[in-house]
Amino acid sequence: MKRRTLKKKQNQQAEDAFSAELDQSLDENLDNLKKMLDEPDDLVVRELTLGEENHRYAIALIDGMVDNQLVNKNIVKNLQIISNQTQMPSDKNLLLEEIKNNIISVSEIEKAATWDDMTIALLSGSTVLFIDGVMEVLVMSTPGMEKRAIEEPESESLIRGPRNGFIENIQTNMMLIRREINDPNLRFKGHKIGRRAKKKLVVTYIEGIVHPAIVKEVNRRLETIDTDSALESSAIEHWLQDSFLTPFPMMDNTERPDKVASSILQGKVAILLDGTPYVLIAPTTLGNLLQSPEDYYERWQIGILLRILRYFAAFIALFAPALYIALVSYHQGMIPSDLAFSIAATREGVPFPAFVEALLMAVTMELLREAGARLPQTIGQTIGIVGGLVIGEAAVTAGVVSPIMVIVVAITAIASFSFPSYSTAIAFRMLRFAFMFAAALLGIYGIVLVYIMINIHIVNLKSVGIPYSTPFAPGFLRDWKDLVLRVPGPMMTKRPEHMQTKDDTAADKGGTSS
Amino acid sequence: MKHFEYADEKISEQEILVAVPSILIGVGILALPGQLAEPTIGVDGLISLLISGSLLILVVWLISKVAASFPNQEFITYASVLVTKPVAAILTMLFTIQGVMVSAYVVRVISDIAEDYLFERTPVEVIALCFLLIVVYAVSGSRAGLFRLNMLFLPIILIIFFAIITFSAGIFEVNNLQPFFKTDFTGYLQGIKESALSFVGFGILFFYIALVRKTKKAPKMAAFGMGITVIIYMIIFIVSVGVFGNITSSNLIFPVIELAKEIEVPGGFFERFDSLFFVIWIMAIFNTMCMAFDATVFALKSVIHVKKMKLILILSPLIFFIGAFPEGYNEVEKFGSFISHYGLVLAIGTMFLLVVILKIKGVKKGG
Repeated sequence: MKRRTLKKKQNQQAEDAFSAELDQSLDENLDNLKKMLDEPDDLVVRELTLGEENHRYAIALIDGMVDNQLVNKNIVKNLQIISNQTQMPSDKNLLLEEIKNNIISVSEIEKAATWDDMTIALLSGSTVLFIDGVMEVLVMSTPGMEKRAIEEPESESLIRGPRNGFIENIQTNMMLIRREINDPNLRFKGHKIGRRAKKKLVVTYIEGIVHPAIVKEVNRRLETIDTDSALESSAIEHWLQDSFLTPFPMMDNTERPDKVASSILQGKVAILLDGTPYVLIAPTTLGNLLQSPEDYYERWQIGILLRILRYFAAFIALFAPALYIALVSYHQGMIPSDLAFSIAATREGVPFPAFVEALLMAVTMELLREAGARLPQTIGQTIGIVGGLVIGEAAVTAGVVSPIMVIVVAITAIASFSFPSYSTAIAFRMLRFAFMFAAALLGIYGIVLVYIMINIHIVNLKSVGIPYSTPFAPGFLRDWKDLVLRVPGPMMTKRPEHMQTKDDTAADKGGTSS
Repeated sequence: MKHFEYADEKISEQEILVAVPSILIGVGILALPGQLAEPTIGVDGLISLLISGSLLILVVWLISKVAASFPNQEFITYASVLVTKPVAAILTMLFTIQGVMVSAYVVRVISDIAEDYLFERTPVEVIALCFLLIVVYAVSGSRAGLFRLNMLFLPIILIIFFAIITFSAGIFEVNNLQPFFKTDFTGYLQGIKESALSFVGFGILFFYIALVRKTKKAPKMAAFGMGITVIIYMIIFIVSVGVFGNITSSNLIFPVIELAKEIEVPGGFFERFDSLFFVIWIMAIFNTMCMAFDATVFALKSVIHVKKMKLILILSPLIFFIGAFPEGYNEVEKFGSFISHYGLVLAIGTMFLLVVILKIKGVKKGG
């Protein structure tokens, strides 16, 4: 404990030293800057003189991080041309003010007096103007980093629905959300995350819909983050989540602005991090695991059917191999006799018990999937063909596994591909193995015990303070309209009750107005 | 933020509605049709069941009413007000003993049935231990979580129950129900007693009503839940007698599981539906046991101030060994019958005691 306070003190000192004030002399400042950054290749410093009195000044910027055209046209050119014509004030501080107000045509411009403020701005794409004899600098926001175009999100493709997805630039992402919801109550609350990297993070929600406790809690948890750098929004998720032992996703993540928009309209909170296209949505609950935005874009009948299909897929993805193991090794009597005979016939000559056989195939399947994900797309398909067809066929012919096992594993794999979100899919992949072990030890009795165990785990889980099992239990009957089933759009007039939104009515045609 | 508005350790009235069938439907129902068919003729047991059911609905309503008169107060607190502290402590301990015995009995029965219907070689002890460990895991978590579990499992239990009822339509014979009203008076009385004994465990409502957020509707909800249970019991009795006839029903140990064995599921996917039925029924039995065990811990903790985890770790080996104690089916049955008598007398006795004193003393409003 003592050591920790001591360390803190040292840190404090280090930080104090870092945020030292700027010097008056231009040469001294430039010298310090170069020393501090160790004269990097991409630092551009341009010294100029200004006006009749030949004030010395300099512009510093990081090459590649600024919009060169903006700097040339609106800063350098203005300074060169306009300053020769106008009478400039001779007092240096007034001069700075004059330049800030009348000469530079950049919309975001600020004064900075400490090294800390100045360098962080400089390193994130601002242009800094030093004037000899002034202890302050002008920081002009001129970021112009190379960024990717807005594309269709690859990990969440839909057949029908908007084709735009988030990119790595947080400004663009905020713009995309604003474009979906141009409500004046849409809030973007900024944070800086990371000791070293100081990344920009934005919490977005709609004031007046979201329950204030959720926003407060998310902000409180964000304050506790202490890391060098948050490389991806998953790092934020891992710092914010309620339980780190669970296999289930504790926050939803998406690349789709429409999904974010619909979530914050339901009273949730989205967290955007600079440098990643994945936006976090919190809180998330069990019902969200198997929902896809497309459920709402197509007719409601197919929406309902697809959701039921997905629940069925979840059942297969979790239980199919385990049930095979249990039935073949413990409860042969439960299989109808004809089927039992044909299974027994195909298993003839297979040297392994059902569990080893299933494990072998399931692990092979995972290997194929992993290999396919790492390889370039074109080769990835080849892996699928080689792995799926050739290995499967050969394994059966060689008598290592039975054909029924191949069918079971293949169906399981296909079922697990039908989850709308990848984080759900990986949770189920892990749990499948737990079921397989349980089935090997205790048959279907073991399967049901593990199932009960997972349910116990789920009812004790919370996502940002909200029970993970809502709205199944604690039950909110009104929310069941959009859970496994999905009623036609015009009937969904209320926001989800379990989010305890401050504005309950989402649509109100012909009903009683409040 | 520690708790979101509904995410605290309290429960809603709906959850009481779901909890009552979850507590009651478990092991008892599996044997009920047999026990009820024995003293009665034809489907006459239904009348006994209806009478005992109605009486117990009233009892449950009264229990919840007493508990709900003292909103958000634990049993020991309000019972102390009514019948002095030592008596309240003794009653709590009696309920604790009931909880331990019910848990032990459930563990024993579930492993016996599992051995009969699922396994041939796996030792009973392993089956019992695994089940007990899962229950311990559940009980050591949040108490409100148990009510959420009830809510998650009850629909599955009801689906499998109604699946059995639906599929047995093909082998149901109306003639088996006859003759009507041939039972003599003692037969009906015997039937009332037998059926009342199969509803064990509602006594723990004395403890759980304290968790309900708004107690106003709680007695109604509890009685409603009891009503659902009685209806389910009645349906299964009719179907069991209709399929097997009175005589066969009364000779079967677990007519409900046998029923699942008899029926034929279209589609040819399942051969022995009884195994599947029992596996899913484990969830129902799990709910019963969880609530019994948790109520025990809850009750004990109000008397002895020991950490919850410690209590669980002390009680679970006890439960395991008590469950292993009876030898053979007859002793298990005797044990079960003893628990039923004990639980019924305890719950109704406590109910009468508290109701009478409450009437005499009167309730202070908002007290």
